[in-house]
Amino acid sequence: MAATQTLPRPKAYDDSFFKPISIWLTTTDHKLIGIMYMVTGILSFVLAGIFALVIRLQLSQPNLTIVDAETYNQLISAHGVTMIFFFVTIFLTGIANYMVPLMIGARDMAFPRVNLLGFWLVPVSILLYYGGFLFGKGALDAGWTGYAPLTEKAYQNGSLGVDFWAMSLIVWAISGIMASTNFLTTIVALRAPGMKLTRLPLFVWAQISTSILLLIVGAPLAAAMILVEFDRQLGTNFFTTQGRPVLYQHLFWFFGHPEVYIMILPGFGMISEIIPVFARKVIFGYMTMVGALFGIVFLSMTVWAHHMFTVGMNTYVEGFFMFMTMLIAVPTGIKFFNWIATAWWGSVEFTVPMKFAWGFLATFLIGGITGVYLASVPVDTQLHQSYYVVAHLHYVLFGGSVFTIFAGLYYWFPKITGRMLNKTLGEWNFWTLFIGFNGTFLIMHTLGLEGMPRRIATYANPAWGTTNMIITISSFLIAFSVLLFLINVIRSWNGGEVAGDDPWQANTLEWATTSPPPPYNFEKVAPVHSYMPLRDLREAGGLPPVTIPASTG
Amino acid sequence: MKHCGRLPLTILGLVASAFLLSSCEGLGGISPIFPTPVSPNGQDIYNTYIGISIPAIIIFVGVEAALLWVVLRFRRTKQPVGYVPPQIHGHNGLEIAWTVVPLIVVLAIAAYSFVTLQKDFQPLTQADMDVTIRGHQFGWEYVYDGFTIHQEGTLAGDVTPFVVPTHKLVRLQFEGTDVIHSWWVPAISGKTDAVPGYTNYSWLKIDQAGTWRGECAELCGAGHSTMQIIVQAMDQPQYEQWVKQQQAAAKASPSPSPSA
Repeated sequence: MAATQTLPRPKAYDDSFFKPISIWLTTTDHKLIGIMYMVTGILSFVLAGIFALVIRLQLSQPNLTIVDAETYNQLISAHGVTMIFFFVTIFLTGIANYMVPLMIGARDMAFPRVNLLGFWLVPVSILLYYGGFLFGKGALDAGWTGYAPLTEKAYQNGSLGVDFWAMSLIVWAISGIMASTNFLTTIVALRAPGMKLTRLPLFVWAQISTSILLLIVGAPLAAAMILVEFDRQLGTNFFTTQGRPVLYQHLFWFFGHPEVYIMILPGFGMISEIIPVFARKVIFGYMTMVGALFGIVFLSMTVWAHHMFTVGMNTYVEGFFMFMTMLIAVPTGIKFFNWIATAWWGSVEFTVPMKFAWGFLATFLIGGITGVYLASVPVDTQLHQSYYVVAHLHYVLFGGSVFTIFAGLYYWFPKITGRMLNKTLGEWNFWTLFIGFNGTFLIMHTLGLEGMPRRIATYANPAWGTTNMIITISSFLIAFSVLLFLINVIRSWNGGEVAGDDPWQANTLEWATTSPPPPYNFEKVAPVHSYMPLRDLREAGGLPPVTIPASTG
Repeated sequence: MKHCGRLPLTILGLVASAFLLSSCEGLGGISPIFPTPVSPNGQDIYNTYIGISIPAIIIFVGVEAALLWVVLRFRRTKQPVGYVPPQIHGHNGLEIAWTVVPLIVVLAIAAYSFVTLQKDFQPLTQADMDVTIRGHQFGWEYVYDGFTIHQEGTLAGDVTPFVVPTHKLVRLQFEGTDVIHSWWVPAISGKTDAVPGYTNYSWLKIDQAGTWRGECAELCGAGHSTMQIIVQAMDQPQYEQWVKQQQAAAKASPSPSPSA
């Protein structure tokens, strides 16, 4: 190991081979595709973050008109669509694309060409959506949920933004279905010798549950979008004022609620990998953790109408959805207690990824608790569509998904690039993000309680001015933090400390190969005897001379 | 580095206590609960909110304390040199405990909420008076017996008030005419959507004279933020006088126009 430390950079790839742009366009290597997914995700994150800053400037004081109401509505829609569809989901697909084959000891995904096609549909989807700004006389302006009949032709003043959005999401859903099929096949068919299902790393289990969810709900999303297009272009009346607008909400949320879990379950998986490594303990309750994942998968498909408690459903139907929604707190609670129990009595090293993991627990808890308030139908009729909901959803999506994404990035960056991310910048990144995040979203709850509806382009009430100003200032702290992160990535990728194969003393197989791994991933994979194969190897004193079967692709 | 781990939770604790301690009256922008309710259904929502808050605050404080304890007690620098943690794979008793206890808590919250739901959210079979509320881009119409009040939206919120008598059970019927709108006055009760195609119901009963504000809560287009609401409760004699004025105005100009 000492000898490699002095090398300028580990050369796992033949640079001259990978330099031409055509390689990136045509590669079927799951690692390069994974990197392209992740870069696409981060670029979307930055873009949607810029939209958020404009939104916050507009709301920083009463009666501001930095942008007009129509532009504002397009910005909030683009912020939501970009963050949810083009950042979180795409980034998580990317990190799984990179890690899942490595973690199960495979050489690539089961369908490498489908993988490449699935990825390239993502830029198509993004460009289609943004085409609305350029060619559609304005993009979607009805919020990321795009409720009918506001999206119908009669209320769109000739704008084609909704058509661009609907087409974009149909392409996105096809891409997601391709990726999910590929993940499930890979995990079922390409595991290393000895890796029984009960020996899968928890991140891989999380990816199984995520893929099942996306397979089930991707098609209903595409169906809803096709019906919107029928209404708009063929003159049907599915969701128009003459039709059933609420049917659209049922279809959308049958996708939309599981989508929330598609965005958080991989994060749960990453946290389940990170905490045992830095606490130097085995995960507490492996089988209950797997069971809780599938409890969430099942329950998440029985709760969609909790987004619709004010549309006037039968009270017994509302009672059912309330009850199922509250039940989700149970498997989520089980995961929380198991994570804490894993660190309990441990020797916990608070590295940057571990800090993000712990920050995730501290903030996601608030999102979970406010979720129970929102699940209660009477209370929800007050809180629904208010800033309380905006605060809640950012606690689960930012405090949840984004914190876990940062945890995962700091954890796996050394594997992906062969370099460590800078620790000092990482500490700054964490603390500014943690303070900026809570400063932005904690007091946002109170605005909702006082009656500030979400998605209003401006407000006249002077009492909300100070709170909104504090939120806006904090949101710029988040932007500063993300800037530090980007600087850190660029600097460390070029000249960071060389990581070596296994800088964290980790448990899983991706750390058994070089950093970055060669195109074929492993020369040898030892037989797997537990869900911590690398730790077993370390304790046994090295890799015995066993080879995996020849090429799996 | 040693003290770093305490900072997040200290900050969180301070912000949370500020959040809880701030009184609901007089502190614009940072209220920890809804405005003081003036209608019984709003009061029931308020009580449910407080009911949920009791287990919620206990769980919040307990879990954050556990997270803090790990940071303070189990960080590597606090452990003896060469400490090897015990490798505990799980504990069935604990797993059952933290499945069953949260289950009981959420069942209790769900049952409590369901009782309120059945009590306040069924369509009323009888009422002292009826008003139909229609949402349109961008304003509200209040259809009384014999006349209609037009509450056209303005951003400043100086809209024509929706007037109701005090001490009377008023049944509200919501109808949509174009896109979906949502009628929300936080001091009265929760919101109800005005959806094209069918009628929704809610009600109010205000026992004090006064004026309360609200807004449309469902994104309905570029004028969404102008769809302000004012509800004014008048004592019976004043209300009757107001009704007479409106009826006279309706006779004078049969075609409905924005009236004061």
